[in-house]
Amino acid sequence: MTTQKAEAAPGPAIDIRFGQVGLIQVLIWTTDPGAILDELTGRVATAPKFFQRTAVSLDLGPLGREPAVAEMQGVLDAVRRAGMCPVGLASGAAAAAALSQPLDLPLLPPFREFHPPAEAADARARREEPRPELAAADVMPALLHQQPVRSGQQVYARGRDLVVAAMVGAGAEVIADGSVHVYGALRGRVIAGARGQSAARVFCQDFHAELVSIAGVFRVFETLPADLAGKPVQAWLDGDALCFGRLGA
Amino acid sequence: MTEIIVVTSGKGGVGKTTSSASMACGLARRGKRVAVIDFDIGLRNLDLIMGCERRVVYDFVNVINGDCTLKQALIKDKRFETLHVLAASQTRDKDALTEEGVRRVLDELTAEQFDYVICDSPAGIEKGAHLAMYFADRAVVVVNPEVSSVRDSDRILGLLASKTHRSANGNGGVKEHLLLTRYNPRRVANGEMMSVEDVKEILGLDVIGVVPESPDVLAASNAGVPVILTEASDAAAAYDDAVGRLLGEELPLRFLEERKRGFFARMFGG
Ligand SMILES: Nc1ncnc2c1ncn2[C@@H]1O[C@H](COP(=O)(O)OP(=O)(O)OP(=O)(O)O)[C@@H](O)[C@H]1O
Ligand SMILES: [Mg+2]
Repeated sequence: MTTQKAEAAPGPAIDIRFGQVGLIQVLIWTTDPGAILDELTGRVATAPKFFQRTAVSLDLGPLGREPAVAEMQGVLDAVRRAGMCPVGLASGAAAAAALSQPLDLPLLPPFREFHPPAEAADARARREEPRPELAAADVMPALLHQQPVRSGQQVYARGRDLVVAAMVGAGAEVIADGSVHVYGALRGRVIAGARGQSAARVFCQDFHAELVSIAGVFRVFETLPADLAGKPVQAWLDGDALCFGRLGA
Repeated sequence: MTEIIVVTSGKGGVGKTTSSASMACGLARRGKRVAVIDFDIGLRNLDLIMGCERRVVYDFVNVINGDCTLKQALIKDKRFETLHVLAASQTRDKDALTEEGVRRVLDELTAEQFDYVICDSPAGIEKGAHLAMYFADRAVVVVNPEVSSVRDSDRILGLLASKTHRSANGNGGVKEHLLLTRYNPRRVANGEMMSVEDVKEILGLDVIGVVPESPDVLAASNAGVPVILTEASDAAAAYDDAVGRLLGEELPLRFLEERKRGFFARMFGG
């Protein structure tokens, strides 16, 4: 066919790039498709733009058992009908490894490992154990970004904090595995603790964010609360609750 | 040195072509050698506003394809000796523009010692818009004071900072200016439109001009005369100020407030 000929460019057929994209995690507590769809359409409806055709990874951890393949097909179907696109299973849960092949979904690295509530307290205690001193070379300085982050742009600080010394426009995304600090107006989306670091925080000088997420717990701001809009604000995670407070107040 | 200025916006219909024509005219009126190029292939427009549509023989794509020389395609303006128009054609395919071809034309204009080359960008962020901005030294980002236009401009500013020849080669980046058009002080006062301050703050850039919404613009484009040449027009004065600021003059912004109209004007005016 002529079109195929035209496409056969002289260069390589494909290029492979390693990239990291933000991935939303869907924790599965039940395999009942009806219940999932109800829940998802409820949540998705509060922020339709953010979930339409977004890639999600399913975490079977909360289920605590290995569901049948057919059962999982029902789950996938419900998630797709809610407008999301499942692209993988979060590894970690034993069930995931067994289901990856028959469901034709890759295993993706876990995000924040799911701990059943009883274990969570343990985990917190473990985290507070004194740690060996870090050598100076182990300290990763924050990634400093001096230019405005404009609509459609994304800045990601891998394995460290992100400091943006300019504004973040509506529709822009600033992401860090650590905390995010923004010294201009913050109008876009901010994602701290992108790999599950729940101690990460968000600090900003002039709050107008569209979305704030810490370790996967997020809040979408369709309208800004009057006590936060335009104010210096910090956000942090208390358990699974995302909290906001005025800085210096 | 030739300076290449792209007039761009992201959103369509905000006044890019109107502004390209008026600023090119304003620069030529101050004695500069100017070429203004229509990058909106398939939608010929600039030549109409410049009033030279009947004299288009060859266009931008002809030059790129080597059908004619650049000299043959450049249309000399009848009002200003130093002003030239390179038209787009309606019949061509958008893909006719190539990076190599655009570079060649701009290099030739530089060799011809034009002072300014104004690139009138098409709307959107596709190939035409990309090529219009790619070689720019400066950008005039045209914004209407409303949310969707401001958002698109932010997007364009992001591309200017990352997807241009200057940004790729670390030449200090493209110098960016905001030009607010269709500014309606009454609607700003009513809270229906964003103010200059709002737009400046959201985009974090300085404003090179504020052109009021004016019926003179439509009248001028119907007549094929860039609005900057209309006598006793606020829009014309605002464009002339913008040209002055582009050349480094420091001028206070005008026409930000509704003009106080006298009693009789209110009684009998439209
Ligand atoms: N200051 C103004 N006052 C009133 N009308 C204006 C003003 N500026 C532009 N217009 C009108 O807005 C319309 C769009 O203008 P123009 O063609 O310059 O926009 P554009 O950004 O080039 O559009 P496109 O994206 O289609 O290329 C025209 O009808 C024009 O007359
Ligand atoms: Mg136009």
